[in-house]
Amino acid sequence: MKRADEELILEFQNGQEWAFEDLFRKYKAPVFNFVMRLLCNRADAEDVVAEVFMKLYTHKHSYKPQAKFSTWLFTIARNASISKLRSRNRLSSLWVSSGGSDTYEEIPVPDPGPLPPERLMGEETATAIQRAVEQLPDDQKEALILREYHGFKYDDIAAIMGCSLENVKILIYRARARLRKDLPSILMEGQDD
Amino acid sequence: MTDHENMRMLISAYIDQELSESERQAVEDHLVECEECQRFYRDVQKISSSLKTWRAESLSPDLEQKIINQVKAVKNREGQHMRKKDHHIPYNAMSTLMICLLVFTVSLRVYLKRNVQTALQEAREDVSTENASPALTAPRGAKKETHARVATPQLNAARGRMEGGSALREKANLTAPPSDVPSSQNRLAAAPVEPGEKRKAVMEAVSGPVLGEEVLSDGFLFKGQPPREETPLGIIRQNEVLVSKDRELREQESLPVFYGESAHKTESFALDRLEGKADSRLGDRTMETGALTGRYAAEESRAWSSPAVKKMMASPAASMSVAPATQGYVANGRSGEVYNYTDKGLVPMRPGFMIVEPDEDWAGPRPYYEKKEDANTEQYDRIYENEFLAVLENPLSTFSIDVDTASYANVRRYLNHGQMPPRDAVRIEEMVNYFVYDYPQPDGEEPFSLVTETAPCPWNPEHQLALIGIKAKELSGADMPASNLVFLIDVSGSMNRPEKLPLLKSALEMMVERLRPEERVSIVTYAGQAGLALDSTPGYEKERILRAIDRLEAGGSTAGEQGIQLAYRIALQNFIPQGNNRVILATDGDFNVGVSSDGDLTRMIEEKRGEGIFLTVLGFGTGNYKDSKMEKLADKGNGNYYYIDTLNEARKVLVSELGSMLFPVAKDVKVQVEFNPSAVKAYRLIGYENRALAKEDFNDDTKDAGELGAGHTVTAFYEIVPAGSPEEHRKTDPLQYMETVVRESADLMTVKLRYKELQHNTSQLIAQKVSAGQLRDPEEVSDNFRFGSTVVEFGLLLKDSAFKGQASYLNVLQRVKVSLKSDAWGYRQEFIRLVEKAAVLDRVY
Repeated sequence: MKRADEELILEFQNGQEWAFEDLFRKYKAPVFNFVMRLLCNRADAEDVVAEVFMKLYTHKHSYKPQAKFSTWLFTIARNASISKLRSRNRLSSLWVSSGGSDTYEEIPVPDPGPLPPERLMGEETATAIQRAVEQLPDDQKEALILREYHGFKYDDIAAIMGCSLENVKILIYRARARLRKDLPSILMEGQDD
Repeated sequence: MTDHENMRMLISAYIDQELSESERQAVEDHLVECEECQRFYRDVQKISSSLKTWRAESLSPDLEQKIINQVKAVKNREGQHMRKKDHHIPYNAMSTLMICLLVFTVSLRVYLKRNVQTALQEAREDVSTENASPALTAPRGAKKETHARVATPQLNAARGRMEGGSALREKANLTAPPSDVPSSQNRLAAAPVEPGEKRKAVMEAVSGPVLGEEVLSDGFLFKGQPPREETPLGIIRQNEVLVSKDRELREQESLPVFYGESAHKTESFALDRLEGKADSRLGDRTMETGALTGRYAAEESRAWSSPAVKKMMASPAASMSVAPATQGYVANGRSGEVYNYTDKGLVPMRPGFMIVEPDEDWAGPRPYYEKKEDANTEQYDRIYENEFLAVLENPLSTFSIDVDTASYANVRRYLNHGQMPPRDAVRIEEMVNYFVYDYPQPDGEEPFSLVTETAPCPWNPEHQLALIGIKAKELSGADMPASNLVFLIDVSGSMNRPEKLPLLKSALEMMVERLRPEERVSIVTYAGQAGLALDSTPGYEKERILRAIDRLEAGGSTAGEQGIQLAYRIALQNFIPQGNNRVILATDGDFNVGVSSDGDLTRMIEEKRGEGIFLTVLGFGTGNYKDSKMEKLADKGNGNYYYIDTLNEARKVLVSELGSMLFPVAKDVKVQVEFNPSAVKAYRLIGYENRALAKEDFNDDTKDAGELGAGHTVTAFYEIVPAGSPEEHRKTDPLQYMETVVRESADLMTVKLRYKELQHNTSQLIAQKVSAGQLRDPEEVSDNFRFGSTVVEFGLLLKDSAFKGQASYLNVLQRVKVSLKSDAWGYRQEFIRLVEKAAVLDRVY
């Protein structure tokens, strides 16, 4: 199955438009969710996803056959996300300095007060987890997302993030340790059994 | 790091199964004895599973559509020449470029020695009163490196110029300094006089590489580099010169999208790289891995992007001042990235989609069809619209009926994808005949009923519009001839799209349900080699047919020749006398028949038609769709040609239409209208351009024309200039020796219809006179007339026809909404949506 993507992109490089459509169909959701979790903002994520596939389309020839297609595409996605993050930070700080603005849409974050563990069920657990992941440092967050939600192996993650294998190991460990600290309620909840 | 922490890191990796055998052993051993770490292990697993509560979301269909449209837009702009141009070309030409570099360097030296020396002398005197030179204000931290690096920009400049292939471009760079002597002198004068340094100074003057390179090599964009107080006027002026040169160049045909595109591509990539580096928080990314954004891309960008723009990107001060002049370029060239620089003074832009529109601004608003005509591999024959013909010169108008509907489906595809269809893809008669009209059933012996109606022309109040409607009689089951159908299905790799083969399969299954026991179906596939997927099978073995349909899979390339020959052979073997023997070709257009030339193919199809085997063509998919070829094939095969884009359309064609097409009631159906000069000054047949017949063909039974299926309707419209009109449509002078005598008559026209019964080769004639006094009030026209005329009007608008008069989308919408009474299938509702889309799209451009 993995090989198929590489073949598809080669087909696409040879001018087969349908191969692009296949890749788009296959990767639109993974890329979107990856970007979405990194950015935690739907509008931005949509911009970035559009950009990523545009780049896939216009820069198909910068893919080299020795690379894995999925890591290549995710590298594009993470780079685009980082640009977006950076411009957003710049923007939001600008807005803050100019008295703030409510036009900038963030994912609604519930009242940050500690929630009693017994209420952390279903929706609320999801929200709490989401918030905890969101608050991770960006690199830890990215490594963890790639691992947990996309099932990438460490060496793929290293390829996507452009760091060493060792580094990936550390990032994921730190992310988990931090989540463990930030989400005691979830762990307690399970402690009963 | 404590021992435990180290161990936990291993545990984390252990959970991910990323440990070596020995590490794994160590972790397992440790877990047995350390409770603390056991808990960590359990917690991490718990976290892992609870992370899954953050559900994946799907893209909104809007977004998908948007992305697809953007890609399409790029594709259309790129065109074929763009697709051929690839990144590796410059590398192939590397050696040539090296030579150019050498030539360039040498000539620079010569140029310096001979010409600049004098300028230097003069300038030195001037400069004593001036401020420090701009070149010197540039950061000089890595002076030696800068010197070494000069070679690169030179090479790049040379490459850029080579690539552009334009002498003008070269001139722009080379002549810029001399023409700009006063400002470049400053720098030249202040620079040390040793040859090496001098060269560098000139380079700076030419393309400002010191600054650009500095920034690039630092990878530290603007940070810690305070905006310069005094803006170097020289640089700005040069920027403007270069930018305006750039603009000139883009406006020229010789350097079209080509240049802008590549600059865009590489710039955005270079930026990716810069950003990757500048991002300290996420680590010092080296990019060896990401094959895409690595050095390759950066190299590329230097080679491909225009020096002027590169400099602008690199130099904040300069870009700030040049912004007004170059905004359009920057914004359009790399909108996504521009945004990053907003707080440095460039135009603040909405963080929008990366829409690649490098040359939109320079070209000004363009009509939509221009870019599509040559940019798409889809082929449409040029349609020359019928003109108004003076009745005195051409009293007879003759055409073959057309019940194809492919054009409408194709137009719909374009509009649904947010594009206006190319003009030549719009065939008005096919749009009109897409819809079913409520004409009366024929009574008596004749297989047709003929309906006419005239009313004022909605888009030209001075004119009249005449409708001619034909309805073939519907057959009851018992009367229907049995069908012997051979499906010839393209199963090449390109058919492996949901909207192609799977769509066909679903529709085939629906059709099989309606097969009668005495009918036969076989399926021939073609790809690498032609294959028989289903030998001719009688209609009562539905299961077997369905299983064969289910097994159809796409894969391989197309080799249509054996396919089509096999299909015809099978059709012949199972020939049903007096039946409907038909090959149905389903393909997405790459019909690589070994009979390769279209001529051979059409000859073969014509030959088979003589033997009583007809051909119907079903077109699938987008982008590679050879419209004109398909239609010709179907025409030759006495068949129809349908474009299928949705399941609904597939059902319509295969189940209901093909259903009736399967039972033709007449063949070679021709229409001839004779206009009465005392009532009609001139007329124009709307559509049917490629169905026109010579007037003598009407009575010539050897001339082939369209066939008509049971229950089918055909509609044609004439726009009529009444006799009293001051308009002049005559193209020849009145005859000198012959007088045309106009016979007194109250008729408007006579409509004649010729057809052959299926088994006969002599034609029958039906004629009907239309009285001139039958002009209806616009408010009282029939529903058929009202709806049909709106479809025509819509078609005129889509074609941007010369004859559209006062046609408008608003009129179309207003009238169509009154004629929704007979809309059993929802097709007219869909039509309204298309009109609304087109109204929006057409206004945009």
